[in-house]
Amino acid sequence: MQEIIVHKGEKKHLVIMHVAEECAQWQIKQEADSVLTVHVFCLDTTADTESSVILDIEQIGEHAETYIYGLGILTGKQQISVRTHVKHSVPNGKSNQLLKFAVRDEAKGSFVGELIVAPHAQHTEAMQTNRNVLLSPTATMHTQPQLEIYADDVKCSHGATTGQIDESALFYMQQRGIAPDEARRLLLAAFFHDVQTTLNEPAVEDRIQRKIEKIIL
Amino acid sequence: MLDIRNLHASIAGKEILKGINLHISAGETHAIMGPNGAGKSTLSAVLAGHPAYTVTEGEVIFRGKNLLEMTPEVRAREGLFLSFQYPVEIPGVSMTNFMRAAVNAKREHNGLPVLNAGEFLKLMRAKRALVELDNKLAGRSVNEGFSGGEKKRNEIFQMAMLEPCLSILDETDSGLDIDALRIVAEGVNKLHNETSATIVITHYQRLLDYIVPDFVHILADGQIVRTGGKELALELEQTGYAGLVNN
Repeated sequence: MQEIIVHKGEKKHLVIMHVAEECAQWQIKQEADSVLTVHVFCLDTTADTESSVILDIEQIGEHAETYIYGLGILTGKQQISVRTHVKHSVPNGKSNQLLKFAVRDEAKGSFVGELIVAPHAQHTEAMQTNRNVLLSPTATMHTQPQLEIYADDVKCSHGATTGQIDESALFYMQQRGIAPDEARRLLLAAFFHDVQTTLNEPAVEDRIQRKIEKIIL
Repeated sequence: MLDIRNLHASIAGKEILKGINLHISAGETHAIMGPNGAGKSTLSAVLAGHPAYTVTEGEVIFRGKNLLEMTPEVRAREGLFLSFQYPVEIPGVSMTNFMRAAVNAKREHNGLPVLNAGEFLKLMRAKRALVELDNKLAGRSVNEGFSGGEKKRNEIFQMAMLEPCLSILDETDSGLDIDALRIVAEGVNKLHNETSATIVITHYQRLLDYIVPDFVHILADGQIVRTGGKELALELEQTGYAGLVNN
């Protein structure tokens, strides 16, 4: 387990490139006015193993901001679980989570998003979004948003969906001459696009784009 | 151009097309009219290769080749274009990327070099003017948030980009106000020439005031029950489908 403290007023960006065999765990505390951005990429398809990413984040100082963005493509017999635990212990904090997964073959994915707003953590703004697409009938994804909100003057929202590639979009694209594989590639790129644009680092963005294309082509 | 012989097709075991015969030559415009449930949209979906439909009998020859053996994308690259009754919204896929993939797939199929970014954008600009499609729409995701009229205009824009031999317009007039109808029809007319053919599927005579057909076919219960010139559409307007089918 890695322990990190984001000090008062500090801005920290953490990019996690998940490795197939690894069970990785971070415990992060944020002091006042700190900004933490975490990107999680599950794009290592070299081994069919069980693995996990656990992010345990607590805001211990006021006016802290936490952003978690993630995307993953699970293939073969991989089983990957991503768990975020975000705790607002003090007032006036912000957090936003956006995680997207595409699951293929017989892979199994799981996302557990725990969001805790302590009784005195008033004026917290917290959002959590999880979107998943299943690329084969044998792929599965479990998504479990868990919100525990004990303060009454807060803005919190969450949403989770799991679906398939839109068949009508696929046919529409085919009717214009685009091969199904290319159409799926465009649709998946579109699916991940909003997560990728949060990187704001063209070099990393390109690297991620190449990895995605390598897997889905 | 297109030869449909004794075409039977079904969806989920239910027969919708019950022996369609239709011959279309280059330069011609054919209107297919008929009541709800006659099979008009099924015919266009079957020609485009929609996977939900099964052809149970008959054959379709398109420019000398067996159309029914081709995948939907190959049909498109061979020059068949379907303007959808309900164009699909594709969030996140830009019109530019979508059209570039489509145009270049067709060019590769026909042994032409793919267009580079500059050449492609020039082509987009030229074709956009044809249907008065706003630059802002061309910069957005495919059909996302477009009004009904904008979607139909976008279909004709795509048709202009792909320069098909055979265009099938499936209820292109539905949901269009009179101004949008005029713009869309003018676009279709500009694209029509002696080497291309158009099939216009519609409920109403109105569209045919703008896109004048050489032939009008009445489809009822999966078969073409009458064929005539453009005056048949006017007759239909007066008598209704019931009158025509019974005669």
